[in-house]
Amino acid sequence: MKDLFRGELVRLTSEEPELQAKYEARWQRDTEFHRLADSNPAELPSEKKIKEWLEKKIDGGSKPERYPFMIRALADDKLIGFMGLWLNLMHSEVWVGIGIGEREYWGKGYGTDAMKLCVQFSFLELGAQRVSLGLHAYNPRALKSYEKAGFKLEGCTRQDMLREGKRTDSFWMSVLRDEWLQMQNGVIA
Amino acid sequence: MKEIFTGNLVRLSAIDSDELSKAFALWTRDSEFNRLLHTTASGLQSGNAIKHWLEKDMEDPSPGFHAFSIRTLTDDTLVGGTDLEVVNWNGRDAFVGIFIGARENWGKGYGTDAMNILLRYAFTELNLWRVSLGVFEYNPRAIRSYEKAGFQLEGRSRKQLNHEGKRWDVHFMGILREEWLARTQESLA
Repeated sequence: MKDLFRGELVRLTSEEPELQAKYEARWQRDTEFHRLADSNPAELPSEKKIKEWLEKKIDGGSKPERYPFMIRALADDKLIGFMGLWLNLMHSEVWVGIGIGEREYWGKGYGTDAMKLCVQFSFLELGAQRVSLGLHAYNPRALKSYEKAGFKLEGCTRQDMLREGKRTDSFWMSVLRDEWLQMQNGVIA
Repeated sequence: MKEIFTGNLVRLSAIDSDELSKAFALWTRDSEFNRLLHTTASGLQSGNAIKHWLEKDMEDPSPGFHAFSIRTLTDDTLVGGTDLEVVNWNGRDAFVGIFIGARENWGKGYGTDAMNILLRYAFTELNLWRVSLGVFEYNPRAIRSYEKAGFQLEGRSRKQLNHEGKRWDVHFMGILREEWLARTQESLA
């Protein structure tokens, strides 16, 4: 059996809130990262605030349908990003969000590798029928990465964002269980 | 200037939590009503329970949340409800929901008329840029109504829902300010 948390370039991990907050606070200071990963106006939360927020979610209100991960590069074990999965139990659907915070790891396949792990985990471990995500139209690198992981473009929310004075669209994508199984050519784990 | 809360068949009115909770408890006894309204499991709630969450909702409304009852112009009967929530002030995008409760009031144009009022409110009172909604593929009557109000199909979440042993698509629709203005120019004055 394969290790579901280990890919070709990255592994999925869980980290102590202190360490996670330190990295996330730094990533948040990069407004381009924020623009690509989020829809809200950029903010500068402190490490302390992020830590409090993480502890509340992890130790307090954690529900079985929420699966948070951090991403480490296999080569140097560097913490490079995060990934969160939300499972809708009734409809067996997973919603995923991902961000690679370390700029020098952009465009090198780390995010794609992590997303492949997410899809595999969703279908093999969570029993999902569908995995969904959303992205901004001004993030073509993400679009390409998600396509490589098996996602198909399903729709476009027209002009829902105003970024730097320009109206932009949001996209949403999904991969269905049957599609993914076909892509594996009958070879699972 | 026009009276903006009145349409041709219905008007939007303030919510009376006593009245609406009693009516809503009756409407939800019809499981088809629940199926068409939301994606969660159909349930049966007492008028008191519904009143409790209605009042909690109305206690501390966020600045972007607006909810109304729908009443007929002919005899002031409470026939349904509608709400609008700004999901993104930066992009000025809002998500709307609407329902007509009792079966005998379906298919009479009340929903379409109420949606027209809600769109006028969204674009001329709240000055929004776009309005979005989601609708299930097994609700062609609603899809037709939204098309009549000017919404365009923007995408389909394929096989997102699991009901009665089958998987179903969710359609996402949207209307832009400029599209709405082009449709209603003559009637604005």
